[in-house]
Amino acid sequence: MIDLNVQLLDEKRILISGIPAVLAAMLREVPEILELRDSPDARARLYPNPTTGNNTINQEWHQMTGPELRHLFVSAGETVTRDLTALTADKENAQAWQVAFPIEHVSAWMNALNQARLILGEVHKIDEVEMNRTDFDPQSAKHMAALRIHLLGYLLHLFVELDNTHEPENHI
Amino acid sequence: MAPPIETGQPGVIVIGETDTKDELSSAWNVIVHNDPINLMSYVTMVFMRVFGYPRPRAETLMMEVHNQGRSLVWSGGREQAEHYVHQLHSYQLLATMEKSAA
Repeated sequence: MIDLNVQLLDEKRILISGIPAVLAAMLREVPEILELRDSPDARARLYPNPTTGNNTINQEWHQMTGPELRHLFVSAGETVTRDLTALTADKENAQAWQVAFPIEHVSAWMNALNQARLILGEVHKIDEVEMNRTDFDPQSAKHMAALRIHLLGYLLHLFVELDNTHEPENHI
Repeated sequence: MAPPIETGQPGVIVIGETDTKDELSSAWNVIVHNDPINLMSYVTMVFMRVFGYPRPRAETLMMEVHNQGRSLVWSGGREQAEHYVHQLHSYQLLATMEKSAA
């Protein structure tokens, strides 16, 4: 049973606790997944065209916004990679893991988790059908990618819920 | 944007102004497209953050994206449309802009 929890530890820190071993392993893989962000498929998804048919606008757009977007994505990944070095055994549950980090890092966590999910989706050609799959063959790289996307998505959803508890006046 | 006009003087070109004025004064639509990976709750949160929409409107637009494959989430001036598309890309949503037909 997953007892994953994202909560404010105090005014300055966030705690993710009850991280099951399988999710802890996936989190440790996030930095490696993010290194694939410059593969052609991942690039097309992370840096999409701003128009569906105007090549002039699209080219100018990528020149103008590409470096800034890449800096944002790389920076978020670096923040999460550093935070993950504090991943440790859960004090309340010997079977689980926990990690605490500054509250200002929440946006970076959401960004990096979503990047990893999108990159996995592009690299493994995950479509709507694969996302609706409920049985996962451990021998199938595609199935395991879909499972990773779901589990990382569950953690991302908990961050969104935490954000909802602070709407509308104070976004984390 | 209008194509540059050669003046015959070395190094001097004139950028046509008419089209630029038209583009700036035209309404532009910001469209968000469906993708199989982004969470519905995440997309709703992004619409609330980027446009300041209240939750019911953000959820309605998110469901439009989910059910119809795309949703027109904002219309207005070109510069602001570009700003919003950039913001949506920073949240990793598939967003495009197009000149309004109206």
